[in-house]
Amino acid sequence: MLAVIAMISGGILAVVYDTTSVIIEENQARALESSIYDVLPGTTTVNILRRSPDELGVDDPREMREQEQRTTLIYQGVDDQGRVVGYAFVGEANGYGGVIRVLVGVDQATDQILAIKILDHTETAGLGSRIEEQSFRQRFVGKTVEDPIAINQDIDNISGASVSARAVAEAVRRGFVDTSALYRGGE
Amino acid sequence: MTLFTILLSAILVNNFVLVRFLGICPFMGVSKQVGSAIGMGLATTFVMVVAAALTWVIQWFILEPFGLPFLQSMSFILVIAAMVQLVEMFLHKTSPALYRAMGIFLPLITTNCAILGFAIMAVQNSYNFIETVIFGLGAGLGFTLALVLMAGIREDLEFADIPKPLRGVGIAFILAGLLSLAFGGFSGLV
Amino acid sequence: MRLWKDFVNGLWSENPTFRLNIGLCPVLAVTTTAIDGLSMGLATTFVLICSSALISLLKKIIPDKVRIPAYIIVIATFVTIVDLVMHAYLPDIHSVLGLFIPLIVVNCTVLGRAEAFAAKNGVLRSTVDGLGSGVGFTWALVLLGSLREILGKGSLFGMSFVQDGATTLGVMGLPPGAFITLGILMAVMNMVAARQKKRAS
Repeated sequence: MLAVIAMISGGILAVVYDTTSVIIEENQARALESSIYDVLPGTTTVNILRRSPDELGVDDPREMREQEQRTTLIYQGVDDQGRVVGYAFVGEANGYGGVIRVLVGVDQATDQILAIKILDHTETAGLGSRIEEQSFRQRFVGKTVEDPIAINQDIDNISGASVSARAVAEAVRRGFVDTSALYRGGE
Repeated sequence: MTLFTILLSAILVNNFVLVRFLGICPFMGVSKQVGSAIGMGLATTFVMVVAAALTWVIQWFILEPFGLPFLQSMSFILVIAAMVQLVEMFLHKTSPALYRAMGIFLPLITTNCAILGFAIMAVQNSYNFIETVIFGLGAGLGFTLALVLMAGIREDLEFADIPKPLRGVGIAFILAGLLSLAFGGFSGLV
Repeated sequence: MRLWKDFVNGLWSENPTFRLNIGLCPVLAVTTTAIDGLSMGLATTFVLICSSALISLLKKIIPDKVRIPAYIIVIATFVTIVDLVMHAYLPDIHSVLGLFIPLIVVNCTVLGRAEAFAAKNGVLRSTVDGLGSGVGFTWALVLLGSLREILGKGSLFGMSFVQDGATTLGVMGLPPGAFITLGILMAVMNMVAARQKKRAS
């Protein structure tokens, strides 16, 4: 009896999963794409440029997931006339409450940061979460990979949220240093 | 994340009860005496460590290879329930003394959402086998710590003159809030 | 009339949160705002209604010995359906509720109603009982969420009524705020219940 119930429910779930998983994947892809439009204004198409350290081809699903998380993806934003607007990448660093992930858009011509966006964080609401405010994110605009990009050097701190602010700067700098060599001169 | 960071984070920084709000029901129910709090905490920790090993094997050797991630909650909860039953029977047969001490807590453990919660979290973080077991150990110890601290305070509260409507769960929640405020001081540690 | 009684029962005299004190984890965890509380409440209500109805339908064919695992399977099925459907159609709310959607499986309220009511009563009454408990759970979540949102963010259901950048009680959005607000609410509900009892006697 128990087995029958389990099989029926498994069957129902399989059907629901099949229909919803497509929509879930589409949503996730669209969410990332719209974030890229935010940091690379003018973009209409997004190309995924490069995967490193190696191509995915591992059979073990857990190892594959791990590797997928380590992989550096670079997104190339192209406008409606086919010109490259710039490149976007994700940087990570540990904040006060956990990992902060930042999406950074860099101008193709000047190599300057166009905009940054906090993808996710678990900072304290009302204090550390102020890293999401436009006035803070604005402080990174115009920086290049040669700049220090560090709090109290070329980026002003947020009072009461210095650990979170420092983490954002570190995430941006780390992502910038890791990826700039990969897309520059390429494609 | 090193193993030590995972352990410390699960016990202090992201304490399962006081910061993540998992396992609130047993936390409120079994924290009136230090003795039973220790018993409940250790029984839960034991189940968590075994559940860590089992759910890891199920996730990465059955669910993922066969493309059945949607059966996760169902298989995990059934495994946890079955395991608690086995532990209960085993204790009953082999160690009546331990059974008397822990027995009454065991059925409560199945519906402790901290166990299912930590198993799902371990999968989301893609922890490997050792990391999952250490995470389970930390989650259990964190639960025990919160439970014992709370029980110590509530034993003393017996003699306090608390306004009548606040007696029982009311004051317990306010205490938990103060403890949670104290544990907030650990954030930023790792 | 009896149906109405079954429904009202869950709202107050057997309210899972304030009177029975069960299923408290989501009450604390996902009530940072009124909207979060409402969505969690509705998700749980859906599971409560469906599992109560189905368990009541199946009560004759489920052998008594394996009833608890059978109930768990039924509940877990509906929880997974809610999880997948919310992930697909309401991704924003799904990411806020996160872990606490699959954890509806171990919400004592759901299994409790199945064992205490649906296993003994007809389909219609069980459905209404599930609905009552679900609505009872939901109003508790919305009340706590509203209080925490008003004090912590200066807004209600996302509509702000303070100036931008005004100082609010940020701690209300953090774990300690959840515990303390619920503790005070519990005391208020106990007072109401005590007064009710006095009037009745």
